[in-house]
Amino acid sequence: MSTSPRAGGQPTGGHRTGTPHLRRYDVIVVGAGLSGTLVAKRLGDQGWRVLVLEAGTRTLDTWPGHLDAMNTYYAASAKVPNSPYRANTAAPSPDVLDLVGLPGGGFRANGYLVQNGALPYGSDYLRANGGTVMHWLGLTPRMHPEDFAVRRTFGYGRDWPIGYADLEGHYRAAERELGVAGDAQEQSEAIGLPFPEGYVYPMHRIPRSYIDDVVAAKLDGVPVRESPDAAETTLRVVTTPHARNSVPDARYDGGRGYRPVGAAGLPNYGERCVGNASCVPICPVQAKYNPLKTQATWDSRVTLVTKAVVSRVLADGNGRALGVEYQAYDDPAAPVHTTHTAEADIVVLAAHAIENARLLLVSRLAGHSGQVGRNLMDHPVLLTWGLMRHPVGPFRGPASTSGVESFRTGPARRRRAPFRIEIANWGWSWPASSPGSDVARLLGITGDSGQPRGRGVFGEELRRALGEGIGRQFSLQFELEQEAESRNRVTVDPRHRDRLGNPRPVITYDLSDRLKRGLAAAKAVSDRIFGLLEAEDHTAYGPGPFSPGYFRFEGQDLSFNGAGHGAGTHVMGDSRDSSVVDHWQRCWDHPNLYAVGCGSMPSIGTSNPSLTMAALALRSSEQIHRELTGLHRPVTVRTGGGTGAGDLSPHVPGPAPSPAPARGPSPHSHPHQEVRP
Amino acid sequence: MAPHHTAPLSQVPSDLADRTDPADPAALSAPRAPAGPSPAVERFVEVSVRLTGFDAFDLHATGLAALYRATALDQVGPEAFERFLAELAAVGGDPGRLEGETSRDIARALAHLWYLGVWPQLARSVHTALGREKANVPFTVSPEAYTEGLVWRTFHGHPAGAKAPGFGTWSEPPPGAPPVPRPAAPGRPVAGPGKEREEETAGDAV
Ligand SMILES: Cc1cc2nc3c(=O)[nH]c(=O)nc-3n(C[C@H](O)[C@H](O)[C@H](O)COP(=O)(O)OP(=O)(O)OC[C@H]3O[C@@H](n4cnc5c(N)ncnc54)[C@H](O)[C@@H]3O)c2cc1C
Ligand code: SF4
Repeated sequence: MSTSPRAGGQPTGGHRTGTPHLRRYDVIVVGAGLSGTLVAKRLGDQGWRVLVLEAGTRTLDTWPGHLDAMNTYYAASAKVPNSPYRANTAAPSPDVLDLVGLPGGGFRANGYLVQNGALPYGSDYLRANGGTVMHWLGLTPRMHPEDFAVRRTFGYGRDWPIGYADLEGHYRAAERELGVAGDAQEQSEAIGLPFPEGYVYPMHRIPRSYIDDVVAAKLDGVPVRESPDAAETTLRVVTTPHARNSVPDARYDGGRGYRPVGAAGLPNYGERCVGNASCVPICPVQAKYNPLKTQATWDSRVTLVTKAVVSRVLADGNGRALGVEYQAYDDPAAPVHTTHTAEADIVVLAAHAIENARLLLVSRLAGHSGQVGRNLMDHPVLLTWGLMRHPVGPFRGPASTSGVESFRTGPARRRRAPFRIEIANWGWSWPASSPGSDVARLLGITGDSGQPRGRGVFGEELRRALGEGIGRQFSLQFELEQEAESRNRVTVDPRHRDRLGNPRPVITYDLSDRLKRGLAAAKAVSDRIFGLLEAEDHTAYGPGPFSPGYFRFEGQDLSFNGAGHGAGTHVMGDSRDSSVVDHWQRCWDHPNLYAVGCGSMPSIGTSNPSLTMAALALRSSEQIHRELTGLHRPVTVRTGGGTGAGDLSPHVPGPAPSPAPARGPSPHSHPHQEVRP
Repeated sequence: MAPHHTAPLSQVPSDLADRTDPADPAALSAPRAPAGPSPAVERFVEVSVRLTGFDAFDLHATGLAALYRATALDQVGPEAFERFLAELAAVGGDPGRLEGETSRDIARALAHLWYLGVWPQLARSVHTALGREKANVPFTVSPEAYTEGLVWRTFHGHPAGAKAPGFGTWSEPPPGAPPVPRPAAPGRPVAGPGKEREEETAGDAV
């Protein structure tokens, strides 16, 4: 097979698609989401033969496929993150609509995830080529240095075996790969993030929303206490780094600048965010980063096979991974599958935190520490909402352009979970499904069609009431750090299987008291902020179908949502007795088996995790490259460039004689730019 | 910039009036009639003006009036639809004065349709009274119905995911909102330790 042109007009890049063409590969990557796509990119560029097995379909990576997803989204009654993407019974995905709150509190889970915890794991993911990042929001803050050592510093959770300094160069590499727009100086001043002197992000920051400006005018510099006996914290509105196309910064990369990467499948499109305000679940112009953009630059040595559900990792008696078993199917609606195996020197699991753990459990691998599947984390989100005194222009621009970062760090972490505050630009869409619910309410349409309906208002009165109400909608999203707890876990149970017979993930999930104290503190801070804004607070938490995350804590009603940030399930550590992977994300028990993704993270701080995950994936790619090089000695050594940040080992191309890439210059002609911004 | 995905919009016939069988999907994609809207659609738009508070020009401009009329006919049946029109005429065209619960629920459903592109669930009692044989579930009438929803216009917005207003537009005050001071211009490189930091300068963040 060779390069196939896309229906949308642009070739897919140099990589192959279709079926595996070799008996044996250098590397198998399981999953073509963000982490798998980055690993394949790096290793393919270095000359290794990479087989990427992706469970989902690749309908999204052509422009007609993208338009189909847009129309599916427009027509969806509930515009949840997975709404644009067609259901796939061969590789099912969890959906936030799977969870239903019960009238007296508690919840029921109806979908792919089996849940038996005290509280719901409220996040989805997407099994389609490109992965969950297809519907991510695209916020890319770095973790704070103190987030890496929460046990040593604050006495909770788990520590990383490496720290911020070890990852700094890879953060920069990831910021290049994802195309991050931000203000490094502001991040440094306001949050205390260390950057190399002179660093700028590839693109200027995404402009702040009018809402941000309104909030900043009232909050900046104001000290608040989260409780009467707490220390003062000074509020400040800070713009958030985004993997979203903005104005390129000419100073980037030592003055070489940066060229924004447009849509996959449509040339010269999407090079600037135009404010469609639908980043979650789909960016119409693809100004938001998605992995298909990176796939379009994959080397010809990378082979992508979609509709290939990996069911098991195969290993020999000595713990060496031999390859994987996978199920190929044709029709996602009525799957009939055939089983195949593929072999490689190194296997990389990149199937999402929950799926990676599921695969390790099903394969009975990496079990020495007993930690596989444990330490499941997310960022529980507290939503608060109200009406401002004047119109603020909600439902414009990216979902959030700024936040308040003052509660992310510091000694208060000893007592309660820290949090980031995202200022929401999309009104009450998350907390109250606005604007649909506003229309229904004013028309007297109740959620339960059996209940008597209100008389409703019509005509100009309806129009005016909607405009006045919705135009003033405001909300805050508090994202709390969840700490690693071994009781929060993914397991498998042979009684619960999907259509292809693969055991479904069984989730046991709860929030610790320190996390609940964090949620209560977040609510108290919200109360102060609403007071400063003189906003009319409409926040209310109670049980009900739309509040599966409702609970009571110390006499207070609270409710949380999932952030989509599943992590911790193949936790990284410094000992094989207490962790699943080492700091290269390599399984302690299996030297040639890697599990990459947020699952490796021992703590997640308060930052949206994918930038850190991407940095880790790039770092692991270097180690995989070194190991492959070791396995395939002797080879010609080419000098003149590290393989990544801080790595001074000579660049060693892979041994495979490889055809010249079908398009453009070889990736080797511009290696390693990421380390010198 | 017109996003590419709205292209199918232009193919939606603006006049699907007076079809014989509104439930027939082929009828919904019937070719455009040469002349303007039919009298039946004109009448439907007049009623919709009273339901929505938007003028006839705005409603015609969505290109969806005929499709909405056909949807309503299909959902509640011609009899109930005609009764609704008659009862509305009897109260001077003011939907707020409709007393019969069935007609009132049709008014709610139509306003909901215009504002969101979604035909809503009817009240269970009305669903039963109409003897409907179809499922009483909400649905978006077409992808364009979502993007043409009137609700976004009530607050000078645009539908999420379509009709993008352009880079940085979200920084501007919306109509009726006061200007607020803009924070410093961004974009200074990270200063080294001990270096004098540049003064923040006021300016546009874009
Ligand atoms: C609504 C939402 C918003 C988000 N916003 C942000 C944000 O703003 N910032 C941020 O940092 N993070 C965000 N995230 C989190 C982010 O999406 C994840 O951290 C990220 O996608 C994880 O990447 P991954 O490569 O590990 O997994 P995924 O992206 O989930 O990719 C895994 C891939 O593996 C494939 N796969 C799964 N099982 C198998 C199998 N058995 N065999 C073969 N292939 C398989 C899947 O189909 C998929 O393509 C958000 C998440 C959600 C849900
Ligand atoms: S605001 Fe619109 S254009 Fe910008 S990234 Fe989000 S969806 Fe894309």
